[in-house]
Amino acid sequence: MTVLERQRQAARPVKPTDAGKPVVIAPGTTFRSVTDQIASIVLRKDVPPFWTWVFLTAALGVFMFIGAVAYLLAVGVGSFGINIPVAWAFAITNFVWWIGIGHAGTLISAILLLLNQSWRNSINRFAEAMTIFAVACAGMFPLLHLGRPWLFFWLLPYPNTFVIQPQFRSPLVWDVFAVSTYATVSVLFWYLGMIPDLASIRDRAAGRFSYWVYGILSLGWRGASRHWRLHETASVLLAGLATPLVLSVHTVVSFDFTIAILPGWHSTIFPPYFVAGAIYSGFAMVLVLAIPIRKAFRLRNLITERHLDNCAKLMLATGLVLAYTYAIEPFTSWYGGNQFEMAMVHNRATGPYAWSFWAVIALNVAIPQLLWWRSFRVRTVRLFLISLDVLIGMWLERYMIIVGSLNRDYLPSSWHQFASTAVDNMVLYGSICLFVVLFFLFVRTLPAISMFEVRELLPFSKPGGGTVK
Amino acid sequence: MSEHRPYGIAAEFDSADELLNAARAAREAGYRRMEAYSPYPIKELDEIISYWNLLPTVVFFSGVLGGFTAFYMQYFIAAIVFPTNIGGRPLNSWPSFVVITFELTVLFAACAAFFGMLFFAGFPALYHPVFRIPTFKRASDDGFFLCIEARDRRFHRNRTARFFQDLEPVNVWEIDE
Repeated sequence: MTVLERQRQAARPVKPTDAGKPVVIAPGTTFRSVTDQIASIVLRKDVPPFWTWVFLTAALGVFMFIGAVAYLLAVGVGSFGINIPVAWAFAITNFVWWIGIGHAGTLISAILLLLNQSWRNSINRFAEAMTIFAVACAGMFPLLHLGRPWLFFWLLPYPNTFVIQPQFRSPLVWDVFAVSTYATVSVLFWYLGMIPDLASIRDRAAGRFSYWVYGILSLGWRGASRHWRLHETASVLLAGLATPLVLSVHTVVSFDFTIAILPGWHSTIFPPYFVAGAIYSGFAMVLVLAIPIRKAFRLRNLITERHLDNCAKLMLATGLVLAYTYAIEPFTSWYGGNQFEMAMVHNRATGPYAWSFWAVIALNVAIPQLLWWRSFRVRTVRLFLISLDVLIGMWLERYMIIVGSLNRDYLPSSWHQFASTAVDNMVLYGSICLFVVLFFLFVRTLPAISMFEVRELLPFSKPGGGTVK
Repeated sequence: MSEHRPYGIAAEFDSADELLNAARAAREAGYRRMEAYSPYPIKELDEIISYWNLLPTVVFFSGVLGGFTAFYMQYFIAAIVFPTNIGGRPLNSWPSFVVITFELTVLFAACAAFFGMLFFAGFPALYHPVFRIPTFKRASDDGFFLCIEARDRRFHRNRTARFFQDLEPVNVWEIDE
């Protein structure tokens, strides 16, 4: 080895690691500008036309939803297209789909908090809001499917004159507890995080009414260091509690299926399969909401390319986990050698619902592979379209699992096909509209981005100045 | 100066650094009953302004209580109040009680974390003397305040005010009770 070669090995030029890496918060952002920007979304009198038009369109859909639900309650669940053996169809598909969407919100707010991923600070608030509204939409479907929703309290253990109690060995009862706990914890976590920001809005409110409302909602927050300490302790504890909770909720949802002995449902891979799918669709919904909102409310300095890029990467990763479970499912059926399971695999790919299977493969596995290219992760229109594609794909996946498995059980004499009715379709579309209405109201009335957490991201927030990871 | 008994004297700063320096100086000067107000949490203040945080303990025991409550509820119903034979399983079929036990553990602990935080912080408390500072709205935006309370043993109207003035804050405020 010559001297020159040794020198070349001993010292190589190093590319600066931060160069070209997109920032979490755009430069030029100050404490004052953060407060101004986020509080003004709530406090300004005018709204972007985008907000008004989407809100009005969705509100029309909500009226339709109310009509469809009223009809359903008057006529009964027979107005759904369900039959025996397909006793669960759209309602449960919608339930699993919506609750899955909620899970990415908890992942962003809780799991990424525990992992110290501070980039999440500017998207966690609306991701949590997304969780709550998605759980609200999800919770309606099992109730509507009960047939007599006004007797829903029969699901709960309470002293009653029938001397009848819930059957605690049934996953359907577990579901009641899992979903109601999840909804409660999500609301508490969301509200806890919002208290300091509600105080910021209170302090900026010009009108007496808004000062009053935000004053009461902020509970008298004054930013005292002891309160911050309690707030942080409570947030971290809630995040630590929400992390296993979010995994348990979708696991319990998957138990609804796996504990039945139906071919196509009775499988131990379901819990991780469902959780991966849930987070996958949830990130798709986060992007579907974030992309238009950052444009309409000019938040591109706070929700930057870096956020879109990271969310897209997480979506790609969970999508690959999901693709793996798609591959492992037929494998275990084949390896297990059960003829009913094999018939199920065959029926799924070639039977009456084969279209849903192939659509799922295309929408959830094939198309999202485009996210390997950076341009698909940061170019908003492309990313938006891929996210929509994933949302549709994930709905179809649940449809495939539920209807595609139920329509053929062990006895060919009981085989029956399912076709959706107008009420099915109206309730699905209506729930999407309800979600949009709730979310748009949230953006307009509550701080959609966490101000105090964004302040922490600014370089001069740390003593002596620091950088953001 | 008013005739009222003051709640305390507060200084207003423009940055977290100045607030931290002031808090350190106040601690060295022997002040204990003080409180800092900032628009975002400042970790370094935890060492200067001590606080005995009971919240984690309360949350832990609430979780334990939730777990016991849930398991006992299921045992009581499935084995005593409403015994049913499901596929020949024992009445106390505890593996199927695990899920709800876990869920209620989380529910109790989470409620304790949220309501415990409100309780220990004294919320809701819509009024507090520091809100009398005319510029206190900055505390939720870009202002940093340090207040030495009158109940501190070393508190003295003039000396405490002079102590703050030496730190060159934006403003020094005397707050009425």
